[in-house]
Amino acid sequence: MEAAPAALRAFIPPGGGWPGRPGAVLGGGSVCDSGSVRLTESVFFNQKSCQTGEVAVAEVAVQSRSSRDAAVQTDRSAVPDVQQGACVDESGVLAFLRRVEEVVIKELNKNVTSRAFDGFDVNWTDQNRTVLCLHALSYPEAQDQHLQVTGVSWNATGSVVACSYGRLNDGDWSTEKSYVCTWNLDRRRLDPQRPDLVVDAPSSVMCLAFHPSQPSLIAAGLFSGETVVWDTSKPEDPLIWRTGMTDDTHTDPVYQVHWLPDAKHGNHVQLLSASTDGKILVWREERDGRLMVAEGFALVAQQIPRSAQLKKLVWGEAAVGVTSLSFSHFDPHVFVVGVEGGFSLKCSTAADTPAPCRTGGSVPLRAPAELAFSPHSGPVYSVSCSPFHRNLFLSCGTDGQVHLSSMLQTQPLISLQLSTKYLFCVRWSPVRPLVFAVASGEGDVHLFDFEKSSQKPAVSMKQAVDECPVYCLEFNTKQTQLLAAGDAAGTVKVWQLSSDFTEQRPREMNHLEQLASELTD
Amino acid sequence: MAETEETLKRIQAHKGVVATMVVNAEGIPIRTTLDNSTTVHYAGLLHQLTMKARSTVRDIDPQNDLTFLRIRSKKHEIMVAPDKEYLLIVIQNPSE
Repeated sequence: MEAAPAALRAFIPPGGGWPGRPGAVLGGGSVCDSGSVRLTESVFFNQKSCQTGEVAVAEVAVQSRSSRDAAVQTDRSAVPDVQQGACVDESGVLAFLRRVEEVVIKELNKNVTSRAFDGFDVNWTDQNRTVLCLHALSYPEAQDQHLQVTGVSWNATGSVVACSYGRLNDGDWSTEKSYVCTWNLDRRRLDPQRPDLVVDAPSSVMCLAFHPSQPSLIAAGLFSGETVVWDTSKPEDPLIWRTGMTDDTHTDPVYQVHWLPDAKHGNHVQLLSASTDGKILVWREERDGRLMVAEGFALVAQQIPRSAQLKKLVWGEAAVGVTSLSFSHFDPHVFVVGVEGGFSLKCSTAADTPAPCRTGGSVPLRAPAELAFSPHSGPVYSVSCSPFHRNLFLSCGTDGQVHLSSMLQTQPLISLQLSTKYLFCVRWSPVRPLVFAVASGEGDVHLFDFEKSSQKPAVSMKQAVDECPVYCLEFNTKQTQLLAAGDAAGTVKVWQLSSDFTEQRPREMNHLEQLASELTD
Repeated sequence: MAETEETLKRIQAHKGVVATMVVNAEGIPIRTTLDNSTTVHYAGLLHQLTMKARSTVRDIDPQNDLTFLRIRSKKHEIMVAPDKEYLLIVIQNPSE
């Protein structure tokens, strides 16, 4: 037994400390006297550490210096053309038509002679049998000043009714202020004595009209001859446009304002005003809130077309002040005008002949009249063109009569004596071709239905007592059961009509056509 | 070509007929007497209704099938003559 070689020394790495030193190997051994070497077990371990590399960080600030607004709107997709995209197999179509033609013609013939559905009517909605007054709206301050309601109008959505206060029976020039009030009928807490919005007007407001598509714009004509436009969505400063008092503006009160679609600019709408000075002016919006005359018409006595059947009137002095105006729903150029002299005139915006201008104006005026109808025996206060027939219109005036006339002849088709006093307003119903409403000087609103009777009204609603006249009324085109009427006591009553008046009957259009074709000329 | 026009004219000339149109199996109008947008409107709606009517009839009795469809409304009557590939739609005002 040889002695072990030189003793194994424990390997202690220099420095002594072993943790953290990679690759350290510890081993140990001991020498015993027998000379054998016993190796203690060596423990292997490895130390590893890691460190993420340095993260690069940078700070940057960003600011947009200029911005632009862009809007996106989906367009109505182009309607696919009828013929394209379908491979038409002519012989197939022909064979098909040959097969079905006989059957179809047999059914068509059966239909014409069938009496199976005569008198058969279906009710899809709840029938409301009564006419009742839903609201009686008024503005106490205006009533205290004994102001009267001169005009009512429903807005484009049919939920807001506006009324204008002024005086209709005052002959003097007055500088008294008046009001335009609006109520939103869809609000839950509607207070009939407190309008949602009250706008002050510098003089009596004679007429007003809501914009046909923008629910917050109202145009109004004033006693001073001005026309103004208010925006009800700005309660602090609603006045957005005014005509001011220039050479161009009317010299007499403006009795009718109307928004008419501008043929040249597509969806743009222009404002039209008519006054008893005989002028009908079309206004265009300029900068800083002014309205400038775009074009105009003037009615002069000498230029009124005369028909051989009209009685000879003193034409030189014939008053041609315009009191009312109504555009045809079928032809955008045709309108009917009612004048103080008692006759109605059919006019056209496309007329060319110039009118002699008495006062200086910036825009040359044209004579629009084409046909004069048989007169009432007193000024015409209201005209209305039928929304269902291109030739029919109604007119009413101080003689208490309503004339249903056709634009094709001068004599009226039907004359109805409805009142011993004046009739102030007549309006066709927007849903029933044979129905119209008339406001009388005795305080009644009469609803006429030609289907029921052509002599007396179907329904008469007593709006005001003590012979207090009703000056204006308007049907609500969106909620067709509502009718608003304003009277001289300063109250606007909103009437709810029964279902009779809100649904078109099956043969109504035929009846209307029949009425219109009973021409006597 | 002329014969189809003749046939359609014959149908259109009948008393009270307001409009006539031929629609193919996909609901695309092939011939019409109305303007484009109204025709496309009618064609789409009536094609769907005819398919629904046919499936209703066949659902109740699989041996049965739809031969003719008539819709009577306040203002007029719409008649649809169905077929495998085409539909003939005629709108008539029966009270005239």
